Amino acid sequence: MAVVEINNVFKSYHDTEVEVKAINGVTLSFEKGDFAVIVGPSGSGKTTLLNLVGGLDQPTGGEILIAGHRLSELKPSELIDFRMDHVGFVFQSYNLIPVLTAAENIGFIMNLQKWPKEKRMARTNELLSSVGLADRHKSRPSQLSGGQQQRIAVARALATHPEFILADEPTANLDSKSAESLLDIMEKLNHEEGMTFIFSTHDVRVMKRAHRVITLEDGKVVSDDIRE
Amino acid sequence: MITAIAWKNVWRNKTRSLIVIVAVTIGVFAGIFSMAAINSSVVQRIDAAVNEELAHIQVNNKDFRSSSDIQNIISDYQEVVSALKSTPGVTNVTGRIIIRGIASTATKSSGVEITGIDVEKEKEMFTLSKKLIPGTGSFFETDTKFNTAFIGEKLAKELNIIRYIITPETMASLKEEGIPSEVVSKIEVLQGQRFISDKKFVKAFEKLLTPNEAQKYGWKIREAAWSYREGSKIILSFLDINDNQTGSAFRVSGIFRTNNDMFESLSLFVPIDEMRQLTGMEDGTFHRVIARLENNNITNSVTPIIREKLPDYEVLNWKEIQPDLAMITDFINQIYAVFMVLILAALAFGIVNTMLMAVLERTRELGMLMAIGMNRRKIFIMIMLESIFLSIVGGFAGIAVSEVVIAITGKTGINLMKYSEGMEAMGYSAHLFPTIDAQFFITTTILIVLTGIVSAIYPARKALKLNPVEALRSE
Repeated sequence: MAVVEINNVFKSYHDTEVEVKAINGVTLSFEKGDFAVIVGPSGSGKTTLLNLVGGLDQPTGGEILIAGHRLSELKPSELIDFRMDHVGFVFQSYNLIPVLTAAENIGFIMNLQKWPKEKRMARTNELLSSVGLADRHKSRPSQLSGGQQQRIAVARALATHPEFILADEPTANLDSKSAESLLDIMEKLNHEEGMTFIFSTHDVRVMKRAHRVITLEDGKVVSDDIRE
Repeated sequence: MITAIAWKNVWRNKTRSLIVIVAVTIGVFAGIFSMAAINSSVVQRIDAAVNEELAHIQVNNKDFRSSSDIQNIISDYQEVVSALKSTPGVTNVTGRIIIRGIASTATKSSGVEITGIDVEKEKEMFTLSKKLIPGTGSFFETDTKFNTAFIGEKLAKELNIIRYIITPETMASLKEEGIPSEVVSKIEVLQGQRFISDKKFVKAFEKLLTPNEAQKYGWKIREAAWSYREGSKIILSFLDINDNQTGSAFRVSGIFRTNNDMFESLSLFVPIDEMRQLTGMEDGTFHRVIARLENNNITNSVTPIIREKLPDYEVLNWKEIQPDLAMITDFINQIYAVFMVLILAALAFGIVNTMLMAVLERTRELGMLMAIGMNRRKIFIMIMLESIFLSIVGGFAGIAVSEVVIAITGKTGINLMKYSEGMEAMGYSAHLFPTIDAQFFITTTILIVLTGIVSAIYPARKALKLNPVEALRSE
């Protein structure tokens, strides 16, 4: 069963008098364990598609199913809980909570889900080790490099075992060493835990590692290459 | 966790938060301290009125207050006393003879209310004996063959019993008190001159000193130059029980000082036996019986009980005798309300502004929180808590500073001698000892928290209206 099903989805905006079709009839599905990238020029609709899949935005047509749930049937408040339980987000600019330590940032969603403290601590330590930052658990985001912050963001996204992770340009702000290191971690998690990753990116390094490359242009899928 | 994040968020922009906190601290301190100072003035006034002048309850012959006729007496004193003493809450009772008369010296005369008192009983029940100015005698303790009177400082001044004289001893004592020698030498030209009024003396030394020196040392100079001849003689004239003019010479036993100019200039106390002898009033007859209660708060509940027991007499409590004192307590509460509304409004504007800035600055972060699953209720609570923390920290700091300052000034007092003339003319002390009820702090704390909550509503609602997609896109 597909983790994500996108059926003939449209998303249009009204920019003054003009209707802009950001997503124009996209049909896609992602299986568990996918390591897929969505590429395309700026304005092609990559981020919009990710926002729709993540339930941050509503399509103007078509439907999106996540693990069998129709997003359009969920109320806004249910959608927030749905995101918390099913989707992991990694943002281009890390978006960690600056007042919390690395460990607290990782534990944040577990905390929202009211995990018992011991279970939360164990999972946090496990993730800190996975992303190679066990020794930085007490560091605040401002004390970490960009690459380290993004690794913490990945750990946070993974913490509650979501169905998949949406990563919007995760390497855009990183130097090549940090980017490679981050991708190594993501690849490892994909292999070892079978975690589904859906990226939007311009980064060739990400594209090289992806098992599937979907190209968007003017809101339409122009190619969907699955690599063995 | 939300609480911890909110608390940490308060300290993200330390400078901005500290500015708000300091502003709240100053506002709360200003409000509480001003109220403590005003409150102390009223409490002192009420205490003085009850302890020195009125007592809690007065029982009079029904016609006495309207005519002040010497013949309007309480003849069944024992019955009145037992009615009072059997009333729960009444702690002590005594009788007084009260006559209007004229006090005069060789140069001056003044209308007075002569009160005949049971000296020992009065000492037990009132604090007037403790208001004796040191060096002016005693509260009827001197053994003398003469009639004696205990009079107020103001009356003593009016009768020219008190003067201000700068002598070489005055100069020496001023130097000993640590007053700079240049200040002492400036007033040396006044040496030997006699000033019969406080006003004239103050005018004289104010001409010689700078305004700052006069304000700083004026009170000490007045105290040092204050001069009184012990055992000064005054003549008291009044009507006896048969409406015949009578009177006698009295030696001043001592001079008392209160904060009430009117009371000081009108009241004169003499032992009751001397009054009986001079007026011809029989033993066991009085004009007024006064009673003290356990405390001021039971006044309203005890009065009707006594009134019911003594229907043939006029029974009044201190609030009825001086309604202005009762009114001022309500007035104080109104001032408190106005003060706090102003302070809390300023506090609210400060918090709204700070929290709006915080929300605007953290738009992307709030968008991220919404994206990863923090629901709107939690975001609302987080913003509310930040605002409440800001107000509570500032509020508690203000309360703590107020407590410390009130504790210190409550002991040392605040000297408003510059305004003493006006204040004492109204019966208020110019030396304030700020005091405030614990209830006041509790009310203030609750109001501060409520202000924090109310102030946060607008910024929190602003945060709730954010669209996560747009918020994540913001810089």
